[in-house]
Amino acid sequence: MIVCVLFPRFELTVAARERDGLLKFPAALAPEPGESQQVGQVSLSAEAFGIHPGMALGEALARCPRLVLIPPDPVGVADLWERLLVRLESIGAAVEPERPGLGCFEARGLLRLHGGVDGVLTAARRALRAPARYGVAPSRFAAVVAATRARVRRPVVVVGSASRAAERERVRTFLTPMSVKLLRAAPELVDLPETLERLGIATLGELAAFPATTLADRFGKAGLLAHQLASGGDAALRPRPASELVRESLELPEAATGPALDHALELLIDRLLARPERRGRAVRSVVISAVLVERGGGWRQQVTFREALADPTRMRLALAPRLQSLPAPAEELRLAVDRFGPPADDQRPLLEDPAAARMARLREAIRQARVTAGPDAALRVLEVDPGSRFPERRALLAPFEG
Amino acid sequence: MAGPRRLALTRRVSVTAAGDGIPRVVDGRDVAAVRESWLVEDRWWTDRPLSRHYWEVVTVCGRDEVVFCDLTSGRWWRQR
Repeated sequence: MIVCVLFPRFELTVAARERDGLLKFPAALAPEPGESQQVGQVSLSAEAFGIHPGMALGEALARCPRLVLIPPDPVGVADLWERLLVRLESIGAAVEPERPGLGCFEARGLLRLHGGVDGVLTAARRALRAPARYGVAPSRFAAVVAATRARVRRPVVVVGSASRAAERERVRTFLTPMSVKLLRAAPELVDLPETLERLGIATLGELAAFPATTLADRFGKAGLLAHQLASGGDAALRPRPASELVRESLELPEAATGPALDHALELLIDRLLARPERRGRAVRSVVISAVLVERGGGWRQQVTFREALADPTRMRLALAPRLQSLPAPAEELRLAVDRFGPPADDQRPLLEDPAAARMARLREAIRQARVTAGPDAALRVLEVDPGSRFPERRALLAPFEG
Repeated sequence: MAGPRRLALTRRVSVTAAGDGIPRVVDGRDVAAVRESWLVEDRWWTDRPLSRHYWEVVTVCGRDEVVFCDLTSGRWWRQR
């Protein structure tokens, strides 16, 4: 049984902060500097103008010239979301954070601890100390849909049954009248609802009535996934691993740019590497963030190093160019460990064979490309019968083995 | 990828040919010019002989296409 915790318009609310009166008017999150010109989350009144997240900025302004654009605050969002996740984990929940403002956890192991579903929800509410919406259902997607239907004090619970088949049928009945727009909750299906609506498929029930093969023919993997979700199925949860918060921050006396920021970064790296919690481990990835001047919001970037590092010089070389993309001078600079690597004991030989070193680098590059883009990221053309008069017999595409 | 995958696989294409077998319309586009044509016969000694009449044509939109007519089945295929 999955519990979904939803904070609607989380990023917009955090970015608006004390100016929350703005949310009564048509308002939207402005595009992040350097990103594509699309609006982020939108207020209810903006939705009434037909504006939705991901809409091109020009189109949004054309639909509502009074639209207020609020600068995003990725730093504030990440901080608050992390605090909320830790609070939720304090009741024993293994949370899968789908995106800021939306998290799910498996409640089955907590039912006895807290005394049933109501007990789990009460414990979560007490731990979070923030008005969230709760949905409970046997599958993750159904729980997310239930949470969107819930009110702050009225969770929506799609009760499970004894048998798996009956449970799935119950979920399917619950989802049948719902709009296909809800499929946008799955990041892979953000663009699908618009196409489905154009084809006259308005509800999840209508979608589930199609044979899976038909949807696969038309939409590929996305079609299969949409059919699975609409039929009450979903993949298993992937809770985040228990994390340690190792973070250093530096308030800058005067709004800083250029060399002053580089010095601040140098100091932060040294302080981070000196933290006892590191226990000699190398750092695999970090999050560098800044609070911008004049309530310009925040700036945040995650940086994954090519290999786990514990060398301040190499870390500085990797991180310093990122500061160039700061959209405004910063009041505060922060550096946090996102993921630790193995203990820093990787000693290099004194004399390295250049060919072996090149091959090792190539293997590492292929490994990283495959981690990012999947196993098909590196393939090789294998000639099997190059002289054949039939082109399809000449070559094969096979996985690259370094 | 489950395993090795063949490259340059043939794909079905809709071709309208004249009485002499020369393609006139490929995939809804009129053929502007025929650049080359050739015959390939293979495996004639087996139960599944291959017999193809290839055409390299340029369509009115400037696209270069290689299509062939499977002389056994009479179907048209595209190949790159």
